[in-house]
Amino acid sequence: MNSSDEHIYAPKLTCGNFVGFKTLVLRECHRFLRVWNQTLVPPLITTMLYILIFGYSLGSRISEVQNVSYMEFLVPGLVMMGVINGAYQNTSSSLYIARFHGNIQELLVSSMSSFEIVLGIILGGVARGICTGVIVSAAAVVMAGVEILHLPTALFFIVVVSFAFASFGFLSGLWAEDFDSLSLFQTYVLTPLTYLGGVFFSVGMLPVLWQKIAMANPILYFVNGLRYAFLGISDISLPVAVVTVLFSAIIPFVACCVLFHRGYHIKT
Amino acid sequence: MTPAVQISKLDKHYPDVTALDGIALEIQPGDFYGLLGPNGAGKTTTINILAGLCNKTAGDVAIFGRDIDDDYRDCRRLVGLVPQEFNFDVFVRLRHMLVFQGGFFGLPRRTCEARADELLAEFDLTDKADTQLRNLSGGMKRRAIITRALMHRPKILILDEPTAGVDVDLRRLLWQYLRRLNAEGTTILLTTHYIEEAEALCDRIAIINEGCIVAVDTTRNLVARLTTEAVHITLTAPLTNGTLENFGELQVEATEGSNELTVTFNRRQMPYHSILERLIAAGVCIDNIRPAGNQLEQVFVNLTRQ
Repeated sequence: MNSSDEHIYAPKLTCGNFVGFKTLVLRECHRFLRVWNQTLVPPLITTMLYILIFGYSLGSRISEVQNVSYMEFLVPGLVMMGVINGAYQNTSSSLYIARFHGNIQELLVSSMSSFEIVLGIILGGVARGICTGVIVSAAAVVMAGVEILHLPTALFFIVVVSFAFASFGFLSGLWAEDFDSLSLFQTYVLTPLTYLGGVFFSVGMLPVLWQKIAMANPILYFVNGLRYAFLGISDISLPVAVVTVLFSAIIPFVACCVLFHRGYHIKT
Repeated sequence: MTPAVQISKLDKHYPDVTALDGIALEIQPGDFYGLLGPNGAGKTTTINILAGLCNKTAGDVAIFGRDIDDDYRDCRRLVGLVPQEFNFDVFVRLRHMLVFQGGFFGLPRRTCEARADELLAEFDLTDKADTQLRNLSGGMKRRAIITRALMHRPKILILDEPTAGVDVDLRRLLWQYLRRLNAEGTTILLTTHYIEEAEALCDRIAIINEGCIVAVDTTRNLVARLTTEAVHITLTAPLTNGTLENFGELQVEATEGSNELTVTFNRRQMPYHSILERLIAAGVCIDNIRPAGNQLEQVFVNLTRQ
């Protein structure tokens, strides 16, 4: 620090603002943990209801799917649903509300790069996705008696899918002009794709034409990847699922970085 | 000496409007600089470009010699921005907001906590440290966004209409604080609608109108540009018809029976002492003299109406 900079507290940064980045990730985590009863408990209740209705009640009337009970078959999909929704909702609402209140400017005036800001907000969403995944998995293990066969693979899918949907949520939060448009992507894209993404059925149960259509749905790959990790069964080969999930995370993340850097909807 | 802020040929075009049209400004370290202009003149656009909230169309902007695009990290740590609107997450507690903001500038947590406590005490907000921002009064929110801008102890503090809507006591407190901050070496750039505020605080002023700088000078020189002035005079006794006739060529607004009159004059042609001599010669006894309206305001109106 030279003499003319003596009264400045903020350090001169030469290789990135790691402290700023860490602070942002912590703030994003603080944001969803502060209202844990609105962010972490609802997916737990939803999962328990699904297990209760589709597993205990209706599941006994459905024959085994790929040699596992319907209840066991259901669990990985339910975990993936919780992860996808948690990660998506965290970044979309955080960014949109920051734009709405104007407090996105707290970050724009700081000595953080666009990349650090985008990654920081997205990792907040990843943290919520992981928390949701762990809580829902724990409930499923207790209620459905499921064992996780490949824990590292399960963690890989939970983390990367969280990253992908946190990035989609970021794009949605950046694009939305009002609260109604914020929910459009979730209503018209995310929810239908999730329900048609093999959470409740094996793709082999569908007519041939629908099987081909279903293969174009990336969520099918994520659900089956996690199902392989939990139960060792899948409609999709593991390498294909891994490559799909990695691309699904990288492409929206790059789009987030480019748009944010250009100031799309955040700078005049 | 490297200027604190150097702006040259700065343009900002929106699809249907030109907000800034090739403006140039130079602010020296230690200046208390005022940027005055009517609504939509380009004041906020200028300071938003300086702070990194707005992308410029063309031109060069440097903060202490660092380009705001090429060396943005260094520029941002040198600048603190107090926006006009309350732009914070209203559900966050005041102290958390300050600590997070310090962190965004790369300050370690302990430094942030110490600095936050110091600023909260200075702005009389210590007992509100754990209050959610939505529960603060308007004056407290105003103080809160000033403390946030000061967390990283910037070399240049930019304030956009800082006293809009605040009561007299708080305005005086803020003026006092800003004067002290400036005396301690912080360069201050202020936009304001209150011309009285600019005249009281700023040593240099730029007047901006329709995206162009129309005047840049010291406050004293700008006021000295004013040639036509008016003064209100209170008399010890009411005016009589005879007295009114004695004013001759003096331009006086007055009514018979009143003890108030307004004299308008060209200062270069008729100095103050000459006005007083003529009034006394006309037979009036003066009780009080005060300027009719703010002087800088008249300069401002003249320049922005041209």
